[in-house]
Amino acid sequence: MRSYLHYALRRFAQFVLVVFIGINLAYVITHATPIDPVEQSIAAVTSFGNTAPEAIAEMRRSLQELYGLNGGWLEQYSTFWSRVLRADFGPSLSAFPAPVSSLIARALPWTLGLLGFATIVSWLLGNLLGGLAGYYQQNRSLKLLGVLAMALHPVPYYIVALALMIVFGFIWPLLPITGGSAMNLEQGWNLPFIISVAKHSILPALSLILIGVGSWFLGMRSLVSNIVTEDHVVYAEIAGVDPRRILGSYVMRNALAPQVTGLAMSLGGIFNGAVITEKVFGYPGVGTLLVDAVYAGDYGLVLGVTTVSILGVSLGVLLIDLLYPLIDPRVQVTT
Amino acid sequence: MISMRTWLAAAAMATALALPGALKVEAQGIPQNIPRKELLILENPEGTIKNAGWFNIWAINAGSQSNGLQQAALDTLWYIDPEKGIDGAWDNSLAAAKPEYNADFTEMRVKLRRGLFWSDGVEFTSADVKATVDIQVKNPNMRFSAVLANNVASVEAPDPETVIFKLKRPNSRFHANFTVRWGAIWILPKHVFEKVEDPAKFDFNKPVSLSAYTLHSFDPDGKWYIWQLREDWQRTSLGRFGKPGPKYLAYVDPGPPDKRVIAQLNNELDVIHDISPEGMFRLARDGKKSRGWFNGFPYGHPDPTLAGVIFNTQNEHLKNRDVRWALTLMIDVKAVVMAAYRGAATISAIAVPPTGIHPEAYHKPMEAWVRDFEIDTGKSKVKPYDPTVAKQITDMLRPSMGDQIPRDEKEIANSFGLGWWKQNPQAATELLERAGYRKQGAQWMTPDGKPFVLRLMVEGDLRPVMTRAGTMIVQQWRQAGIDARIDVAQGTLLTRRAAGDFDSFIGWSVETWGGHQDLSYFMDSWHSAFVAEAGKPQPLRNWQRWTHPELDKIIEDIRKIDFDDPKGVELGKDYVKLVTREMPLIPLMSYNVFTAMDHTYWTGFPTAENPYANPVTNWGNSRYMFVRLKPAN
Repeated sequence: MRSYLHYALRRFAQFVLVVFIGINLAYVITHATPIDPVEQSIAAVTSFGNTAPEAIAEMRRSLQELYGLNGGWLEQYSTFWSRVLRADFGPSLSAFPAPVSSLIARALPWTLGLLGFATIVSWLLGNLLGGLAGYYQQNRSLKLLGVLAMALHPVPYYIVALALMIVFGFIWPLLPITGGSAMNLEQGWNLPFIISVAKHSILPALSLILIGVGSWFLGMRSLVSNIVTEDHVVYAEIAGVDPRRILGSYVMRNALAPQVTGLAMSLGGIFNGAVITEKVFGYPGVGTLLVDAVYAGDYGLVLGVTTVSILGVSLGVLLIDLLYPLIDPRVQVTT
Repeated sequence: MISMRTWLAAAAMATALALPGALKVEAQGIPQNIPRKELLILENPEGTIKNAGWFNIWAINAGSQSNGLQQAALDTLWYIDPEKGIDGAWDNSLAAAKPEYNADFTEMRVKLRRGLFWSDGVEFTSADVKATVDIQVKNPNMRFSAVLANNVASVEAPDPETVIFKLKRPNSRFHANFTVRWGAIWILPKHVFEKVEDPAKFDFNKPVSLSAYTLHSFDPDGKWYIWQLREDWQRTSLGRFGKPGPKYLAYVDPGPPDKRVIAQLNNELDVIHDISPEGMFRLARDGKKSRGWFNGFPYGHPDPTLAGVIFNTQNEHLKNRDVRWALTLMIDVKAVVMAAYRGAATISAIAVPPTGIHPEAYHKPMEAWVRDFEIDTGKSKVKPYDPTVAKQITDMLRPSMGDQIPRDEKEIANSFGLGWWKQNPQAATELLERAGYRKQGAQWMTPDGKPFVLRLMVEGDLRPVMTRAGTMIVQQWRQAGIDARIDVAQGTLLTRRAAGDFDSFIGWSVETWGGHQDLSYFMDSWHSAFVAEAGKPQPLRNWQRWTHPELDKIIEDIRKIDFDDPKGVELGKDYVKLVTREMPLIPLMSYNVFTAMDHTYWTGFPTAENPYANPVTNWGNSRYMFVRLKPAN
């Protein structure tokens, strides 16, 4: 137990270090952007109006003051960290003065809902079917599934998204192709809104699931194909153990360990948002927020989304590392 | 015997075939419970709004403007329509008459309409106009603070219908700040803002409206806004023109261009703000009741914005007029137009957009001068203008586009423009040689013996039409021996444009009222006093950073005359002649916006045949179409 605690503490320290380095890198990269948020704002405000040039110089000064860009880099950097520690990323520069945290808080549930659902469904389906295909290697239906998975796996998910959009949004207009819910419905725990959200999420989720299933399927089939040749499985078969028990207890369970790691990393990664899927389907999630922020030079918002993402991925990996020694007897903690 | 498997397959197929018919009606998510005969759905080109619940347009760069806020809910003193307008291009909106200046333009007096009310029942008066100025001057971080503080010494409201602006210095165009060309300084409700501690941090949710619609509901995620016709719409400035047709307006983010096309083909988006030429062609072909500004080719609405090649005249090579003209004469504009708009463009040889009132005020009256315009290359004298270019474009289009391409000269001029500069490699060579450039093999070398490298900045897929134009021009320059390179700036264009970090770019520095001949809207900012040193940020709109004593004189002369003074057109012509001689930018064409209107549920949209308003959805001026729309049968 002492060695586990020591391991957990060491692993936690690594986590803190990774997060610290990741956020610093994000800070440097976003501040190196060639897009100047002040100029973006001035262009947005003045490009359609009749603004006298001398007024623009004053506007530029005001914006720099308003956006907190007047101090030196050290001052800005320390302000940034003091805000991060309070989970406050300051105001969004492209949606001033809305706080970055409130924009992320509004977008995050959409992304978590869509990607969480798509990730778990693809993981369950892919692993189940992949496990079956690896074990029952002569089954024709499962072979066909293997061919389909191989065919779909390399297709970029945005191509699938566009194809789904054309088929189900235009040729056969069954499903909504844009937004998170229908217009004019009150957001909340009411049935029309929930049904609408579910309908709007079908196509984006399907575009992710179709590709995701293929990837998990192929991984699981390959793992199971190796495990079925191992001695303990062969002996179990010779001893006449029920094949379903062999598949469930001896094969799938052993094959799942690396897949669980993959799932944890995928779940951590959903904080990034599926940028292109969200863009294609106009889904109001974090991915859309991130792309818009990059184009607007809104580095406060980019940093906010990136920090949440770094925390998500790092926490996912940390949790799995901490849980592994407890759930898998083959993993030993050494000091 | 039919097996169970066959039964299941047959049942699945029958269900699949039946479902589309059953579900199609509510497939794409139009507003619930609002009958289509009461609802007009328009595109908000700002897309998804991040801080959706923000309606304080007077705060700097916060919230959406074209979500219906400036088109349906706000109002100001005057409007100038880029087209002909319902009752003329100029409209006294909250003002009862045109502005009255004193002799030296240091005072502007405005008479206001009476009987107009805010949506909460408070009467609109001069106190609101005064508060609009005072609050923004007092709070320097607001959107129009700098403009107002810079111009206004004081503002008085001696009675409810009179406002007197005392200006800090003579300004014959001060009213332009309160005149809508897309947007303007909107009037704020004094009775709301005077109770607010910090007006820059006030979200103004729910907004109190001064125009005919008021906010009904909006998506907290910023995808849609629905506005409802006020019951007392007669008590707004728009009420003069009758009852608006749609009871509800929905401003939505329909997504990227392909989805806009799908949405309109599904009759779920009545007005598309802009799509690609190809999308417009598809709608014209397959959308049974979709059409653009023109009923056929070139479809798009020509904005009063002149797209062109903007030279950075602080660049060592581009300081020289001969080089700029040589680059112009290397261009075949027909190929550029075909690449950019597939031919659906309105060209202009002079630096004024070929739209609105301008063809009558400038292009046609100056046609003789342009035809006679001569360039002396040092070795020869050439008349570079070719008056038949627009006709040549129509001849190129006719084999593929058929009868929708006009043959009538007047119609061709109206849709495609007049002439342009003829591609003339020989004259370009002579001009470059006079500037000290030498050709080495097929490559032009600069006077100091290095290859002549020239970058042309484009926005990339953020503005595909202009990017296609830029790519074609770079190809033509390369064919002529310049080491021209496309410089894809994507989202950095605005920053780099202001910083002067470019050799040349495709964009615009000429924007006009469209419906009025006065050119000071853009030209005043071209005065040499505003040109930044290299490396310093340039205020809009003289992105070319070009100065000329003659230009300063023209600008100063315009400042001294009234907005409607006919001398303004003569000074505008002097500007055209100067810019044609100097060529600090290569004029190409008007910025055509492919605004597609679906007549399935609504009729009476403004069109080239009935140009009573600008249909482009994000323009404040588009509000006039609401009063002309009627439900389709």
